Amino acid sequence: MAEPRHDEEQVHAHVTSVRFYAGIFVALVVLTGLTFAVSLVHLGALNLAIAALIATAKAALVVLFFMHLRWGQKFNALIFLSALLFGGIFLAYTLNDTAHRGEGDPMHGARFDERTGEWAPGSPPGVGRPIEARPRTE
Amino acid sequence: MSTEAIAKVGEEQEGRRQAPLAHHFDTPLQQFDTAKMGMWLFLAQEVLFFGGLFVVYGIFRSWYPEAFSAGSHLLDKHMGAANTVVLLTSSLTAALAVRSAQVGKRNLTTWMILATIALALTFMVIKYFEYSHKFHVGYLPGQHFEPTEFPEGIGSVPYHTRTFFGIYFMMTGVHGVHVLVGVGVFTWLLVRNLRGHFGPEHFTPVDLTALYWHLVDIIWIFLFPLLYLID
Amino acid sequence: MSEHGHGASYLTARRGLASWLFTLDHKRIGVLYLATTLLAFAAGGVFAVLVRTELLTPGRTIMDADTYNQAFTLHGAIMVFMFIIPSIPAALGNFFLPIMLGAKDVAFPRLNLASYWIFVFGACFALVAIVVGNVDTGWTFYTPYSSRAGASNAVLWMTTAVFVMGFSSILTGVNFIATTHKLRAPGLHWRRLPLFIWGIYATAVIQVLATPVLAITVLLLFMEKLLTLGIFNPQLGGDPVLFQHFFWFYSHPAVYIMILPGMAIVSELIATFSRRKIFGYMFVAGSSVAIALLGFLVWGHHMFTSGMSEFATMVFSALTFLVAIPSGVKIFNWIATLFQGEIRLATPMLYALSFIVLFTIGGLTGLFLGTLSVDVYLHDTYFVVAHFHYVMVGGTVMGFLGGLHYWWPKMTGKLYDARMANVAWAFVFVGFNMTFMSQFLLGSRGMPRRYYDYLEQFQGLHGFSSIGSYVLGVGFLFMLAMFVWSLAKGAKAPPNPWGSAGFEWQTASPPIEHNFVTQPMFTRGPYDYHLASAAELFDGFPEDEESPVAPAGDRDGGEPEG
Repeated sequence: MAEPRHDEEQVHAHVTSVRFYAGIFVALVVLTGLTFAVSLVHLGALNLAIAALIATAKAALVVLFFMHLRWGQKFNALIFLSALLFGGIFLAYTLNDTAHRGEGDPMHGARFDERTGEWAPGSPPGVGRPIEARPRTE
Repeated sequence: MSTEAIAKVGEEQEGRRQAPLAHHFDTPLQQFDTAKMGMWLFLAQEVLFFGGLFVVYGIFRSWYPEAFSAGSHLLDKHMGAANTVVLLTSSLTAALAVRSAQVGKRNLTTWMILATIALALTFMVIKYFEYSHKFHVGYLPGQHFEPTEFPEGIGSVPYHTRTFFGIYFMMTGVHGVHVLVGVGVFTWLLVRNLRGHFGPEHFTPVDLTALYWHLVDIIWIFLFPLLYLID
Repeated sequence: MSEHGHGASYLTARRGLASWLFTLDHKRIGVLYLATTLLAFAAGGVFAVLVRTELLTPGRTIMDADTYNQAFTLHGAIMVFMFIIPSIPAALGNFFLPIMLGAKDVAFPRLNLASYWIFVFGACFALVAIVVGNVDTGWTFYTPYSSRAGASNAVLWMTTAVFVMGFSSILTGVNFIATTHKLRAPGLHWRRLPLFIWGIYATAVIQVLATPVLAITVLLLFMEKLLTLGIFNPQLGGDPVLFQHFFWFYSHPAVYIMILPGMAIVSELIATFSRRKIFGYMFVAGSSVAIALLGFLVWGHHMFTSGMSEFATMVFSALTFLVAIPSGVKIFNWIATLFQGEIRLATPMLYALSFIVLFTIGGLTGLFLGTLSVDVYLHDTYFVVAHFHYVMVGGTVMGFLGGLHYWWPKMTGKLYDARMANVAWAFVFVGFNMTFMSQFLLGSRGMPRRYYDYLEQFQGLHGFSSIGSYVLGVGFLFMLAMFVWSLAKGAKAPPNPWGSAGFEWQTASPPIEHNFVTQPMFTRGPYDYHLASAAELFDGFPEDEESPVAPAGDRDGGEPEG
């Protein structure tokens, strides 16, 4: 990857048209509306997946076009993707650990089990119950 | 940098300064490409910085889904959506600022930078209203979670809603700091642009700042649905 | 060489304190870092001696238990964050990376200066932490002890220091990556890069990708304490093991930040002092990158006994075995290089050979620790302490000292006294092994780490280890005296005292401010002894110092020609 010796005096950057930028912007706003709309429908686990997917699409539009990765040096794209990759590894491994924590223990570790409303033995008293609003007495 | 170490390429044209070429670079293109690479490397570390916060989010959402859902319903999703559109627009104006610098439209560059700053400040104002409301009604992290009222239809929330708010404030707070830093840098760019520093031969600082700004926008693109739109 | 009228050396080109404190010259910045990190090394060493002295006898020897906790915490924190992570990359890397690339400076000189001052700024927070007192958590700052309500604010000061110094590390990494990609002189393909560059480059990749996770870790710790976020505190539903995930996701790659530059130097030393090119160059280069990347996958091996899920422990153990392979590749290639080489046992070579032996011991013992069933017994014992000191001191510090001795003539223009240097090496080598070999025995026999008190049966080994630490200390003091003497009264150094084919030796000793008079063109690799000219390998002064042209071409041009 030795930089070839140019005799260029100028920096010839790719100039995008205003219309193209506006188009990307419109797409982003539409996708935002879509995210909002889908969130109003109860789809269970699918809600998170769809939200993440749409957010990724929006991010991709910003990265590729607003940030010019589509037309820029490929190595910069590699830098960005590497960051995402290692961030993803961090997330995946750690989630994997916490998901399988204490598999031999029916309480899944000493945590509050919100499904049954029980705390592991030895937890501080009063902790774990649902919180109600307590207006200030003034 | 000492002036003797900088060799100016070309002369001033129509009040626009040519890109100063640092002594250790051979061509302006090499200098520009290097600056861009440096910025992408910096953005890579920002991705991992925020990535850590998303890991915290991921873990606690998987452990306390009801608390996260409850906490999310305590947020104002309309303000969140408004802020999303505000930041998306500011990303557009930032991209346009770079473009107008690239084609030499100095006045337009000024307006686009100003618009970006204004939109960023709008974001912070909306944030301010959100935060102050939460302080007022006691939606605070961890030990300090002592709600005094809930919206219509909500009687109580799970115990770990406090964890949700800890994560909410951490993520939006760190993001907010990045927005403020962006405002500062754009203000400096505005001053420089008014002095005529930027043009087709030299728009690198605008370009790099816009890259940073787009990343700040991308982070919010993820924060909005993950914090505000949990079912 | 200023006698040829091509400009004063970088040391004398500009004068005055301000010209040093606000310099943009990568060589001066390297020297600033060298001075600062050596100061940190001395401070960390003082704490080490305090720790070892306390451990001479069971029970109280010179301090109480709370003070002891602070002593080993500060020893670790200072050594890790203020010496070993910055030292080779920021001091020697800053000095030699641009020169080896044929560049006049790093890609971003102002950022480079900022990196240094950010580092110093961070160090100030550490000083405050030490003074405010009671940083007693161990350098790993595990929660919930470090984030509990009663924890001293000194922990916050120290974590702030780490945050700020981390930034310095990140920016240095950014600079080095950009420089290596964009500022290579013509003819310098990736396959011709000195292995020092490959090592520093791989280190820079880790610095950029891993350090931000440390930053968010300490920020979360800070906020956990300040705002009771509840993410690490089990009483609020948090997970203390999560802190460990965060901490080690950085700190494991960090140990590769520590070792890769040391390995990078060893490659240079082995090549020069065997007068051969490194056997299996592409494998050694590739192994640096492999270590950098694989190093991100194994952090859980610090957490085997923490309560992590069993499945995760198995995955991490398997990957730990994988990451050992590229290190082994390097060791074998170095040994193959030595075979039938023209070996000269100059002081730098003694350090390089020490590295090979001691790092091998450290690395192999890492495999014992990576084995789940064995680690259950060895975790948090002195076995771990001995392991990481073998790789960090027996490895990195030996590499650092080898590089310091090797490049001393280039950086200072002076020679050091070889006999004194070898005596110092002997004290260091013997003292080191005394101190830490005994700790393998202590650990495998059950002595826990970070313990103030211990059972009578461990007294003998502890005492031996402590005496070893004094021997080690004497060696360092002797070395310091030797270097000071060299600065004051050392003989003038020729451009290439070791007769190396490396690119950095084709400049003056010390180099001129802009490194080269004319743009270098590379037509051979840095270990091509069969292609280098006699003039390039000449280890004396040019015959006629008054002559405007040195024999076989202009030496200041720095043009290694095939």
